[in-house]
Amino acid sequence: MDITFVIINAIVVASIYGLLAVAVSITWSSLGLINLGYGFVFSFAGYCAYVVAENVSEFPAVVAAAGILGGALAGVMICLLVFIPLHDKPNFTTRGMIGTLAISLIGSQALLMYFGPRAKSLPEIFGFWSVKIFGTVLTSDKIGIVVCSIIMLIVVVMWMRGSRRGLEIRAMMMNPHAASIVGIGIRSTGIYVMAMTGAMAGLAAVLLSQTYYIAPFSGLTPLIKGVSIALCGGLGSVSGAVIAAVILGLTEAITSRYLGGQYVLITQFLVIITILIVRPRGIAGLLDKAREQ
Amino acid sequence: MTDTTPETGPKLAPTTWVNPLTPWGTAGQDDVTSVQAPDPRQPWDENTAYKAKTYKVGRLKHYIVWPAHGAKLWDRWRWWPTRRNLLHIKGLYNRKTLKAEKKILDRRPVYWAICLLLLAIAPFFFPESMENTLLSAGAIFGIFAAINVCWTLIVGTASIFSLASYAVVGVAAFLTTWLSANMGLPWYTLPLIGAFMGLAMGAIIAIPALRLDGFYYALLTLGLNELCRVFFTTSSEFGSASGGLYGADTYISDQWEPYAQSLTGYYGAFLLMIASLFLFRFINGKRLGRILRMAPEKREAFAEACGVDYRRARVTIFVLTSAALGFIGGFYAAQFGGVAFQIFSFDTVLLGLAMITIGGIGKAEGAILGTLVVTVLDKVMIDWGPIRHFSIGLIMLGVVLFLSNGYFGIKKQFNAWRDKKRGEWRSIRSEKGGEALPEEATEQDDKDELFFRRFDKMQRDYLKGLICPEIIEEHRRQPLGQHSEALERVCYYFRRAPMEDKYALHHDHAKDRYKIIAFSGKRGVSPRVVDDREYDNVGDAYHAIFIRRVHDLMES
Repeated sequence: MDITFVIINAIVVASIYGLLAVAVSITWSSLGLINLGYGFVFSFAGYCAYVVAENVSEFPAVVAAAGILGGALAGVMICLLVFIPLHDKPNFTTRGMIGTLAISLIGSQALLMYFGPRAKSLPEIFGFWSVKIFGTVLTSDKIGIVVCSIIMLIVVVMWMRGSRRGLEIRAMMMNPHAASIVGIGIRSTGIYVMAMTGAMAGLAAVLLSQTYYIAPFSGLTPLIKGVSIALCGGLGSVSGAVIAAVILGLTEAITSRYLGGQYVLITQFLVIITILIVRPRGIAGLLDKAREQ
Repeated sequence: MTDTTPETGPKLAPTTWVNPLTPWGTAGQDDVTSVQAPDPRQPWDENTAYKAKTYKVGRLKHYIVWPAHGAKLWDRWRWWPTRRNLLHIKGLYNRKTLKAEKKILDRRPVYWAICLLLLAIAPFFFPESMENTLLSAGAIFGIFAAINVCWTLIVGTASIFSLASYAVVGVAAFLTTWLSANMGLPWYTLPLIGAFMGLAMGAIIAIPALRLDGFYYALLTLGLNELCRVFFTTSSEFGSASGGLYGADTYISDQWEPYAQSLTGYYGAFLLMIASLFLFRFINGKRLGRILRMAPEKREAFAEACGVDYRRARVTIFVLTSAALGFIGGFYAAQFGGVAFQIFSFDTVLLGLAMITIGGIGKAEGAILGTLVVTVLDKVMIDWGPIRHFSIGLIMLGVVLFLSNGYFGIKKQFNAWRDKKRGEWRSIRSEKGGEALPEEATEQDDKDELFFRRFDKMQRDYLKGLICPEIIEEHRRQPLGQHSEALERVCYYFRRAPMEDKYALHHDHAKDRYKIIAFSGKRGVSPRVVDDREYDNVGDAYHAIFIRRVHDLMES
């Protein structure tokens, strides 16, 4: 195995998981909700894209849009079912986390009942072509995945910086209480946040299904990877999540190059634990400023 | 003046009032059209009636009172070698009969004993057709209940939100199975070896717990669980091909008949559950638990300032409980002769979380009830298919949405809700207008004042109902002298008003004209002139004052 090949693979995977990590991160820091339902959002978006590809059109943009919309829909569903009824109740953090887990259980079982246990595959969105750069062959799906996730990330960051809604979300991140005092609706902002992060998870589902299949429980590994990256980068920080995704991607590449594939999780985990012991709130997280809720 | 007659509420019955002075010829007018004054006690009765709807349930605990045995009210008998009484009993004398009685203040031990007894004799009442299913489900229930009770210790008592409990159990089970299969260890050593492995693993996992906050730790341990799953699933020594590792020595012999095997498994798991309950009792109910009850989440700094080393207590509990979880892992291997990869799966963690959530996090009874519900749904209702997990998810969601702390938190939540509602109803009942609000009343020292205001409001309400064109006309015709009952009541009230701002007439002798003034109510401070208007005769002036007062009354 060539080292550049491994590194490229790691970057591709890291860019997908990075999307989920940023989604988890934004949800936690703006809403105070630990959303472990992204596994379900992920599978739901994948199945949405699959249904559209089967019944409507296999045109790449349509499939991707179906995935993104499906993810946003699932995110809004979680928001309506868990965040809005619970956000002002006692023990919100624990109950919210368990509620999203329950949604994920229900949703995955529903997908299993409806679509059956057989995995589905999506059409190739990026076609079949390859480019040779500096002696390395880059296939279409790898370039497409990296470019798409970077574009999505840039769009999200721009939207958060430039728009009125983004301003509201950033205000919620800084101080949810003060934000609600100055007239930013917690519930409406919750719906925007969950729709946006759900859309990110949906895109991640479509991108990952270029390599893997769609199954009712396929969202679990991306969720855990995404959560680990978000944790490592500091919950609530987009730049931290990007740095963590790169670090963990490199760890994965180096481990599978020099130690072997089965040690990837162990080394990644050791790296995460080391980072967290040195900086308990992640790479970009501030030590004293935990989100109070 | 009479055109300013205010519109009043319900129409009163008209009546003709005959002046009793008529026979003497001193009455100004003989027959007067007036209204029938209603009974003045009526508003008093309406206002003092208790209108809040009452229900049977109350804050009072309804204790069953038992007769005392013998003449003694209480005794100091304790269970050797502990220093405990069996039940928390209070002795008392009946106030009416003066007989000695006693009541059990804490009935939970009784309920525990009944439930455990039911579980102990349950196998003899299982229907023939489902005996096998129920016995194996019972064995799984016992083991999972033990795991969940330990997990409750970590999540509830130690408030470390760890999701790696099943990982500890699984690692201990896999390693002991491997040791037993490859080195021929007998079954009774497996739980002990498992306990040491759990101890070691707990010590390793506890290191990040010292630095990380609750939910960072939860996510980290979720990752740890996944790590264990991937490691054991991919490594060839642990039977990656066969879906699990089997071949450990087990205490259930193959030579026994199947029913005896199932029954032994059931009671083995039952004993394990009892042991875990004792562990819970000895950690949660003793020093460590009490220390940590002082240091709940977000109040750690306060506890630390009081000299409580909560970190040490938490980590101690975590490590001890991990050893117990390792013991359970070893027992699992000794019971089933091995373990499947299923123990590491995310679904197991999810179902486990459902188990401790349904009953209520932090309570042993909650963990056991939740385990019972989930196990019955998952292992007994097998013919339901995928609906089982679906319905478990629905129950979990419902519990999380509607209950603040599971089934066993309902009582507390209901009491809090009822108190809130009571407060709301109380504030709805207290109307404003002369009467004091409950929160003002507590700050008023002179309670007479409050009672007077209340009475005054009732009286004004009553008098407002009497004001009608008839009595105004009657007053206009004869301001002084005896009036009909309705008018007389109104006049008495007006005359009895306090001096402050009371209306009076000022007679200008030079011009023989009258003006309305109002007293200041203070000695030495002269009255103020209310109106520039002057009246030619004293009767008109009296009536003008009367109209003014009627206006004031109607507007109050």
